[in-house]
Amino acid sequence: MSALLKSARVPGRKRQSLLPPYGPKLAAGRRMPVELLRRHFQTAVELEHSTLPPYLCALYSMDEQRNRFAYAAVQGVAMEEMLHMVQAANILVAIGGTPALNTPHFIPEYPTYLPHSDKAFLVPLQKFSPETLEIFLKIEKPAADCAPPEPNHYHTIGQFYAALRDNIVAWGDEIFTGDPRWQIGPDHYYGGGGQIIPVYNASDAVEAINQIVGQGEGIDGTIEDSDHVLFGEEIEYAHYFRFNEIVEARRYRPGDSAHLPPTGAPVEVDWQSALNFRPNPKLADYPVGSPLWQATLDFNKIYMKLLNAIQVACTGRPNYVLDAVPLMYELKYKAIALMNMPLGNAEQQTAGPSFEYVPI
Amino acid sequence: MESEIFDVVIVGSGIAGSVLAKTLTQAGKRVLLLEAGLQAGAELRPEEAFATYQHYVETFHDKAIPATNGPYPDIPEAPSPNVLQIQAATPYYTGYLVQKGPLPFASDCLRAPGGTTLHWLGNVPRMLPNDFKMKTLYGQGVDWPISYEDLVPYYELAEREIGVAGDVAAQRGPDMGRDDYGADYVFPMLEIPPSYQDQVWKLRSQNLTVMLDGEPYVVDCVSMPQGRNSIPNPRYRPGAIVWDKQIGRFVIDHETPTYPVTGSLWSPYTGERCEGNASCVPICPVQAKYNALKTLKKADQRRLTIVTQAVASKLLIDRQTGEVTGIEYKRYRSLEDPTYETHTATGRLYVLAGSALENPKLLLASDAANSSDQVGRNLMDHMVMLAWGLFPEKVYPYRGPGCTTYIPTFRDGAFRKDFAAWISPLDNWGWSWPTGAPGSDVSTAVGTLGLFGKALRDYIADRVTRQALLHFECEQLPEPDNRITIDPQYIDVLGNPRPVIHYDASPYMRKSFAAAKKVATQIFAANGIEDFTEYKPSDADYVTWEGNGYTFEGAGHIVGTHRMGNDPKTSVVKPSQQCWDHPNLYLVGCGNMPTLGTSNPTLTMTALTFMAAESILKQLEGVRQ
Repeated sequence: MSALLKSARVPGRKRQSLLPPYGPKLAAGRRMPVELLRRHFQTAVELEHSTLPPYLCALYSMDEQRNRFAYAAVQGVAMEEMLHMVQAANILVAIGGTPALNTPHFIPEYPTYLPHSDKAFLVPLQKFSPETLEIFLKIEKPAADCAPPEPNHYHTIGQFYAALRDNIVAWGDEIFTGDPRWQIGPDHYYGGGGQIIPVYNASDAVEAINQIVGQGEGIDGTIEDSDHVLFGEEIEYAHYFRFNEIVEARRYRPGDSAHLPPTGAPVEVDWQSALNFRPNPKLADYPVGSPLWQATLDFNKIYMKLLNAIQVACTGRPNYVLDAVPLMYELKYKAIALMNMPLGNAEQQTAGPSFEYVPI
Repeated sequence: MESEIFDVVIVGSGIAGSVLAKTLTQAGKRVLLLEAGLQAGAELRPEEAFATYQHYVETFHDKAIPATNGPYPDIPEAPSPNVLQIQAATPYYTGYLVQKGPLPFASDCLRAPGGTTLHWLGNVPRMLPNDFKMKTLYGQGVDWPISYEDLVPYYELAEREIGVAGDVAAQRGPDMGRDDYGADYVFPMLEIPPSYQDQVWKLRSQNLTVMLDGEPYVVDCVSMPQGRNSIPNPRYRPGAIVWDKQIGRFVIDHETPTYPVTGSLWSPYTGERCEGNASCVPICPVQAKYNALKTLKKADQRRLTIVTQAVASKLLIDRQTGEVTGIEYKRYRSLEDPTYETHTATGRLYVLAGSALENPKLLLASDAANSSDQVGRNLMDHMVMLAWGLFPEKVYPYRGPGCTTYIPTFRDGAFRKDFAAWISPLDNWGWSWPTGAPGSDVSTAVGTLGLFGKALRDYIADRVTRQALLHFECEQLPEPDNRITIDPQYIDVLGNPRPVIHYDASPYMRKSFAAAKKVATQIFAANGIEDFTEYKPSDADYVTWEGNGYTFEGAGHIVGTHRMGNDPKTSVVKPSQQCWDHPNLYLVGCGNMPTLGTSNPTLTMTALTFMAAESILKQLEGVRQ
């Protein structure tokens, strides 16, 4: 195992030097107690997870053939959010914490504010539409260059992670007391929007945070994400800019400014073909035992199974990540089936996935 | 193009051509790669590669009977054989292949960027040491000019390049064991887990004794090594294959960071593991299955020029020196527009990396490399006899890739003096091959039985889930009259010749069908499988032996038509894979194989190609060979 992890991690380490190294300047911040830092990383796990249901709802409502560009973009972002969630759990485990992904309040009640945010906007579960994409843009908005790190009531996700990174740096390796065997590595986690980084020390944690923030918001005010810097891959734009390409129906070109609209080739976006499911579905919308109720319950059970698999994987049995793969497919099929069940209302809407906690 | 001089001109971008393009450019050589297929298929940038591949996947989904080449463009200017065109009555001229008979040749390949690896299954067992010594040991066929031991280092390179998933310890059987791989050797990735139905098969087949000609044979079921992504083996040392000029060999650079898993062309995070889609043939929807474009993408693109829609039509040869002076090719406009311009590609060395149908065709059309009169002869394939039946319980085929387990028991033995050896993969695709299931089951249920609603669902759920298929890939021997020729009567739209094929099944083969059927019957009986096997005189390749009829299918393992050897009078290429007749012409691909063994040939052919790449680099660098 160690030989593999070492070799698999080589590109990350080498490329890491391309990013500004953390040093005394960043380390000057005040340290928060380790227990509080762990709570914040649990928040990070919840934060990364909270964007998944909205992204998946938009994704599953799309006709992949008629919306190839937008589908690939939203799918790519959703996969990276999944990676971020597991990555954040890896850091939490590394600093001696125990992530909790399958507790009753882990899934937010949609529409929801982002966990611990400044409550500037609500995030709903709704179909792929211009309104939905406007919200996605707000979620992924890059940090302003001068925005200070904020562990609580942050305005952007970047601010939140910057605060956590500063604390990691300030503490150094001494807080990395977690069981290294609990780390999820690239042999377990795959196909999920990036290469997972097992975390054994402060340097690994900073690298992991840089990947999370870089994929979401871009690095150093560019439109590009951090993967091609960290892993030497082809350029892929950060989340905000991938969503903005859909909104603007136009591609960015390398070198486009982060502050201006894209100037590349136009792309076709078909808003009309999205499955028209009623926003923010709830199990309680339907009579107990009805077909809609049953299908919604079945969907939620699959989602809980998925969260359970990740929970087990993040708490000592990394192999269980493998169980999540077929569940992801099942989740998609069940969501699309719901989006094809008409409600018979005037708006001609359908049922949809509700993403609610159910005991299983 | 014509003004530029390349170190090497390669014809064909299948796995052989792609391995050469990668290794030669990375060693600093400038390479021109001519590919007959469409430009879209050679796009390696993520977005374009994704768009092309999704088009393939959609075409596959849209076709009622996709067969092996169904997802891919059918190009009039560069036709491929089509297994759906095979007819029982020979001769016929309607497909791409001109089938002179007496039996039709039943295999296909694909002319497209990436070649037949787009639709291959991905099974990569090695050949057995004895396979290289058929004449000496069994008085059949010919010996190879090289041994298994000679090939071992190149097998390792091929397994690294393809990214083989498998369990070395499981590779046992007659004439195969741990020692043949080396005590410490492991594959780059862990084995693909056995499918559910394999586990059911094993319950009553593992260690089953079957009788054949009065001799007992113990059936073994072992894990199939595969060219599809799995969990990286922590004991495998990742590294890049690099050319060491000093010692004139490829070595592994363990310092260069590499991850043993190569994802899809469009994203390193797609296709990182086999997801169990059962459509490996004709297409893996996530590209977890290896294809040659993954290798081509790793070539040093600064030194690689790829010209697509370029059909090589003639080798230009200086008849005094035997040197090839250029390759004439016809560059057509598009799928719909066969208008073409003729160009000549020039380089220091030339390599034909087409299939064992296309290489000999081009050589014959150029009157090249044929002083031995062996070009086009010794056409071989695995003749595949199928046996199918219904399990008493549900075994759920289509869960996982096409084959995760095989029976090695009859790969080698004294019987090879009398009849052909075979390998038996446990197939995971129900009756799709022999009957067109599950579509044919639906037709029967609705059309013949008049079922609908729940009764229809119950019928399908009962029948499709119990379908068992066992197949026997019998090793065809080299025979001079099984051959490809050309005839000016038969040309394609560009005026290039079509392969004219003469083909038959010898008594050695027919006897092996009879033997395999006896084994199938015993294995079925032990498993409680109700036998539904039916060989009909109307089948395309129906043959008889001692009063009984058998039908064989093609395996898509087209080999032997320009074989290597130590004697220029009986072989086309030297062991270095340089032509005896032309000092600057190399042939690579399955055509070089003197015999077939019972392995799917791609791995062995890829190993040979790494060997050829060393010969080519040594020749370019003036090293005495």
